[in-house]
Amino acid sequence: MSAGIYVHVPFCLARCGYCDFNAYAGLDELKPRYLRALLREASLAASAWDGAEIASVFLGGGTPTTMTSDDLGCLLRALRSAFDVAPAAEVTTEANPDTLDEVSLAGLLDAGYTRLSMGAQSFDPAVLRSLERLHSPESVRRAVAAARATGYANVNLDLIYGAHGESLESWERTLEETIALAPEHVSAYALTIEPATPLGRTVARGDVPAPDPDVQADMFQTACSMLRDAGYGHYEVSNWARPGYECAHNLGYWRRQPYLGLGAGAHSYRDDRRWWNIRPPEEYLATVERGALPVGGDERLDPSDAYLEEVFLRLRILEGVPASWFHDDRADRFLESGLLTDDDGALVPTERGMLLLNELVLALTADEAFR
Amino acid sequence: MRPYHGGAVSTDSSHIRNFCIVAHIDHGKSTLADRLLEVTHTVADRDMRAQYLDKMDLERERGITIKAQSVRLLHEGFELNLIDTPGHVDFTYEVSRSLAACEGAVLLVDAAQGLEAQTLANYHLARDAGLMIVPALNKIDLPAAEPEQRTKELASLLDCDPSEILHISAKSGDGVDALLAAVIERVPPPVGDRAKPLQALIFDSMFDAYRGVITYVRVQEGVLPSKARIRMFATRVESDAEETGVNAPEPTPVPELGPGEVGYLVTGLKDVHQAKVGDTITLAGKQGAHEPLPGYREPKPMVWSGLFPADGSDYADLRDALDRLKLSDAALHFEPETSKALGFGFRCGFLGLLHMDIVKERLEREFDLELIATAPNVEFHVLRGGETTIVHNPAEMPPGGDHDEVEEPVVFATIITPADYLGAVLGLCQERRGELVDMSYLTPERVEVHYVLPMAEIVFDFFDQLKSGTRGYASLDYEPWGYQKADLVRVDVLLHGEPVDAFSTIVHREKAYPYGKRMVERLKELIPRQLFDVAVQAAIGSKVIARETVKAKRKDVLAKCYGGDITRKRKLLETQKKGKARMRRVGRVDVPQEAFIQALRVDDASTAKGKK
Repeated sequence: MSAGIYVHVPFCLARCGYCDFNAYAGLDELKPRYLRALLREASLAASAWDGAEIASVFLGGGTPTTMTSDDLGCLLRALRSAFDVAPAAEVTTEANPDTLDEVSLAGLLDAGYTRLSMGAQSFDPAVLRSLERLHSPESVRRAVAAARATGYANVNLDLIYGAHGESLESWERTLEETIALAPEHVSAYALTIEPATPLGRTVARGDVPAPDPDVQADMFQTACSMLRDAGYGHYEVSNWARPGYECAHNLGYWRRQPYLGLGAGAHSYRDDRRWWNIRPPEEYLATVERGALPVGGDERLDPSDAYLEEVFLRLRILEGVPASWFHDDRADRFLESGLLTDDDGALVPTERGMLLLNELVLALTADEAFR
Repeated sequence: MRPYHGGAVSTDSSHIRNFCIVAHIDHGKSTLADRLLEVTHTVADRDMRAQYLDKMDLERERGITIKAQSVRLLHEGFELNLIDTPGHVDFTYEVSRSLAACEGAVLLVDAAQGLEAQTLANYHLARDAGLMIVPALNKIDLPAAEPEQRTKELASLLDCDPSEILHISAKSGDGVDALLAAVIERVPPPVGDRAKPLQALIFDSMFDAYRGVITYVRVQEGVLPSKARIRMFATRVESDAEETGVNAPEPTPVPELGPGEVGYLVTGLKDVHQAKVGDTITLAGKQGAHEPLPGYREPKPMVWSGLFPADGSDYADLRDALDRLKLSDAALHFEPETSKALGFGFRCGFLGLLHMDIVKERLEREFDLELIATAPNVEFHVLRGGETTIVHNPAEMPPGGDHDEVEEPVVFATIITPADYLGAVLGLCQERRGELVDMSYLTPERVEVHYVLPMAEIVFDFFDQLKSGTRGYASLDYEPWGYQKADLVRVDVLLHGEPVDAFSTIVHREKAYPYGKRMVERLKELIPRQLFDVAVQAAIGSKVIARETVKAKRKDVLAKCYGGDITRKRKLLETQKKGKARMRRVGRVDVPQEAFIQALRVDDASTAKGKK
């Protein structure tokens, strides 16, 4: 069995208005305890994952690089000793450009973090301010240069489009600047307004308009064509990569392979069961420190749940779903209207289809049992 | 029930006075009725509550009387039967039957407000019914009261001596004794012959879950015994009546109701349609009367609307609920209707918009149903090839003017307005296709205007427009006035080329464009974007008169879907799936229930107020 490990680091330099992740600014004094708890949780969980080959490790957050390279190195060593991590496993850490310099980057690479995923978001200072990001475009350029100088050969840049004040032209410039930095991987996300965030409340009050979905659709299509022209392959709704640099860890989620989540609020999945850790860091810490697995909840997927997940995840990664999975000819109208294409018996969404994936999934699976 | 202590049954009716109170809304009718109950000790002080005679919750909430009631007051050896009258133009016929049960009417006028449209309309009804009018100015203790001016106005209307007009305060009780004395002195006792065959007028009929149909009657001739085989003239139904009694004010059995008396009869019937307001009761067999009392009319719906369950599976429940309501509401009509857009439902006929509102509210409140009501319309006559078709559903109207002539019902409207607002009133009536009949100054400041107006123009939001155009000072009353030829067309609304029958309506040709434009604009906002452009069109026949486009949806996808998002995402999809299943399909277009409800909502201000 091949599996992935996700480690959640809930610390951030500052909270961004749009973010609804389990992330906190100002909890820095918890870091030493948190690291010890991760190591303890790994050893508590390990026996259940005997025999699983760990093909990927992914540190997400929060901002994992708010912890020192030494601490992160210690963490990875502990994972390697507790689990059967493949020698060639993809090991990624997310990073905030402002937390990186050549010294810390060398430390991370040295510790075995061979893939770097950086939150660039935009190269337009006005858009960064609108997103309440503290870093500047210049610090992204500097961080990428430092990563290259250190020897990083697998770098991802995260982008967000559709923030208030961002024009299509500004988005094109952001894409140009991104391409100019030649990362191996690009993730571009349409800004989503989450109700339980400061930005969500601002929008609900009407102080800032919600993103215009039509403008975001234009931006998506711009990203598709500019990244394609620059040699990136589109392999998931929001992800592009140079050939061979697709993110193995994330592909594991989408292909419904097992994953173990460590840290506050992290989700795990295996054998049609999904469970998630206690979300508040303090409670998570107290539970692990008692020597208990910090599970906060779980669910069992019945066949119709599993079917629905299979359909929408496969459609997301453009691997396609066999036409024979659906009743009659209900895919026909989407083939006709150009939202789906038929790739040798597999239904694959087109660019327009990807933008309307929810509608496609609903229409294709309406009243369907797993077959 | 308490035993009756009203004294021995008299063979003579000289001690009886049957009267009602007629007034414009808010001029104090219910307060006066309360005070009469108190002054005559009919209701013990400890049992007294405001608006004692208004029984239904809805009546108290809306401050209007929907059903008539009668109550017996005993005062200084006299038996005074106070017959309440419904207070809304929807119920003009019911008012006329209540008046027919009386010999006199207290015409109550607010000393501050003066004469209003309903004052006049009710006065004319009462006078035409031959009633003795006892005029009274109410609220004379109000600082804004102008008793002298109002007395002059009222005396000139009634052509009487100002000294005949009583001044009272129903609130404080001032002058109420004098009013009672005037009723006794001026209202003639009823005349009737015990020996003649029974003729009893039904002026109200209601359904009681335990006792079946109870009618309120006024005996004109003969005697109505407590237990008897009775017959209804209009419906030809016979039944064994179970009990006669009077409201004093609680129901109190009496051995019989003699000529001139007013009371209730437990008929032994189970369906109010067998005992209709205005019908005459007599005894079954040879001893029965040969002729009914004059003035009976079949209750006739004026306003029609389709009622559909929001959830199609509630159809049977809606049918049962309507059946139950019909037991107690003789004016309610309904027949099955099938709509392509809304499924199975009923086309219902109502006396007016208030009646429609009440029925809808009762169905939702008492039977827990969620309903979609189509836009109300009046009943049209469509003439085609020498044949007349009665149309009370826009779907039955031939599309695109394929008819020789259409007639619509009109009303005779009485409007009283301060002279300052005359221009606004005339403007509104012109805009509503009215024809001015006449106009007269009641005083230099107040004008009475008569118009013939299409009923379709008046039943919906006319009153609100009138009120807002006159700062609330104008008053309105109207009565049906037959049919008139008009240039009417059916406007259809199409979604993606598919007509939505629930949105079709019949309007005057000149109003077709504004109506169509308003509907398509409204629907543009209400119909969610689909996977393709949806044309929203309004059309007369095949001619499109207004169009909007709901642009195709371009983006509906979650940006991020990683390990921690998958469960949430799946649940979101399941919720969306349920939402889709609740939508109605029109051709290829998914339309949410809410869009139908919102699009068909009569502008909020125009209904529900009820009070006129």
